[in-house]
Amino acid sequence: MNKGLALFLKKITGPFYINRRLAKYYLDRLKKNKLSLAGLGFIVLLALVGIFGPLFVKDPQKSDFNINNLPPLGFSIQESVYDIKTDTFTTKVIAGRPDHPLGTDSKGRDMLAMLVSGARISLFVGLLATGIAIFLGTFIGVLSAYLGGWADNVMMRFTDVMMTFPFFLLLVLIVFIFGPSLAIIVLVIGLTGWTGAARLIRSEALSLRTRDFVTASKALGASDARVMFMHLIPNVISLVIVMATLSIPGVIMAEAALSFIGLGDPMSTSWGTILNAGQHSLDTAWWVAVEPGIMLFFTVLAFNFFGDGLRDAFDPKADI
Amino acid sequence: MKVAYLSDDRMTGGTVLEVKNLKTWFFTHRGIVKAVNGVDFALNKGECLCLVGESGCGKSVTALSILRLFDSPPGKIVEGEISYSGADLAKCPVEDLRKIRGKDIAMVFQNAQSALNPVFTIGDQIVEQIKTHMDVSKDAALQKARSLLSEMSIPQADRALKMYPHQMSGGMKQRAMIAMSLSCDPGILIADEPTTAVDVTIRAQIMHILGELKTNRKMSIIFITHDLSLVREIGDRAAVVYAGKVVEVAPVADILRNPAHPYTIGLIGCLPDISTELKRLPSIPGSTPNPIDIPTGCAFHPRCPKVMDVCRKVEPELLNISDVQAVACHLYDSQGSTK
Repeated sequence: MNKGLALFLKKITGPFYINRRLAKYYLDRLKKNKLSLAGLGFIVLLALVGIFGPLFVKDPQKSDFNINNLPPLGFSIQESVYDIKTDTFTTKVIAGRPDHPLGTDSKGRDMLAMLVSGARISLFVGLLATGIAIFLGTFIGVLSAYLGGWADNVMMRFTDVMMTFPFFLLLVLIVFIFGPSLAIIVLVIGLTGWTGAARLIRSEALSLRTRDFVTASKALGASDARVMFMHLIPNVISLVIVMATLSIPGVIMAEAALSFIGLGDPMSTSWGTILNAGQHSLDTAWWVAVEPGIMLFFTVLAFNFFGDGLRDAFDPKADI
Repeated sequence: MKVAYLSDDRMTGGTVLEVKNLKTWFFTHRGIVKAVNGVDFALNKGECLCLVGESGCGKSVTALSILRLFDSPPGKIVEGEISYSGADLAKCPVEDLRKIRGKDIAMVFQNAQSALNPVFTIGDQIVEQIKTHMDVSKDAALQKARSLLSEMSIPQADRALKMYPHQMSGGMKQRAMIAMSLSCDPGILIADEPTTAVDVTIRAQIMHILGELKTNRKMSIIFITHDLSLVREIGDRAAVVYAGKVVEVAPVADILRNPAHPYTIGLIGCLPDISTELKRLPSIPGSTPNPIDIPTGCAFHPRCPKVMDVCRKVEPELLNISDVQAVACHLYDSQGSTK
């Protein structure tokens, strides 16, 4: 199995490494799409922040009620303070402080630290869950197309059922049953999110299956597994890459939504958790909800732009 | 006295592959497509047998049936025998067949353009092919791949090994394809119109290569074509296929000089003669029958200039009319046999 995996990796990623000319060709095509490059830049930045950021910021879980609801740097809010000695209300102006550049939430936790931690969680969930979903989708799609007949029918009807089943309800149910942990969330999103990929890849593999090189390799004694791993999967890999990129934002949103409704992992700070905390204090501390919202917005946008650019770059018929 | 297939003893070496009454039908929603409907032939060691016929007569499906490469469903071998070294390829399990494919019987396809995987180099593909059937190291396989490419007179074999199919010309691809099918030294090569998709100079090269395989490697070749000039060039014997049946088998020289079946006569009559001037090429009236709805009796009877009453009712059998020539036509059995 390990050998198979090694072969798989070598055959899939190998061509891009060995065939520099082809890799450069795709990169050149990608470079023509400025939005997509910007998206890639944002993703790389986010990844760096997610990987190394936690080393430089404060502990996102540490609360300090003396400094709660600090606005971001450059903003200030007015707060009415009741003075018990004089029995009067005085208006106090609270300004953002440089040691908490993005402010703090109602428990005095540093927003910057929480957002950095959220970036890590979002990318982790996004990549891992998409990885599982795309792996399953590719496998089921190719297998279904290759086997054909009743096996194809069974697998595709199963896909249909999975598709029509309200995904979010299932997510909520499973998280409710097994408890909210990051691993469960990743698994559930991964194990339910493969349906679209499976369908698309099946349709692509169906046309590949009838190509001469598949018949030719069978004529020369290739086994079914070899036809699938050597001929079908490598030929759908560009589609797989594009689909993976385009499905990451959905996964990130799903995780955020779960956290938002309170079913996220309580041990970790994700953007959805912050959003959830922020919605209660929108009138007093708007930044707590707005900041993770902005991050989610740009992250999803960046993946979509990058995915679109990749799709155009891999599509030989696209004129760019 | 039915002699349905011909083992030509002049070739010696004996029969290596024998196909008897092979029927491959496709069960579609529009009806049963009888693509191969009772094909008989025998392939002798070291000879080149040509399957000749018009488009859609079932010659390609015959070739695919030998290695069971057609899509199933809808295709199915409903009857017949394919004997190869004691085994019946029509009935043996696919796992056994897989060991024969490529190792004993290899196949070259019409369109090399699409018969090579676009995402791997030629070297990778040949090496993988060798390692499927043989337990050799990667270096040894690479060495073998290089020598095969050289044998196919591909210049700079080392460079060719690292090329992707799209970097090669059509002729190079076709030769690389042949090299790949020869990688495990098969005894039989099935060439399904290998020259249709290439231009005349490449065609000459490929025919030359196939000719050399026959003489140097003593390979048995089944050559499928609709081009009688190629048959003349490379063939030892020819089997004429019409509506999924072999209607005439004979050595190439005999079949070209004395065709017996009215269809063969018509086919050869269509060839332009360089010595006479023609305004319009002759043709056989009518068109090939729909394989869903093959005429009763002799399938050729609606187009046959010498049609008799018996042709409409009784299907003729493939019978010898001489030591080396067999034909399926009532013109001959009504004279010779007791019918």
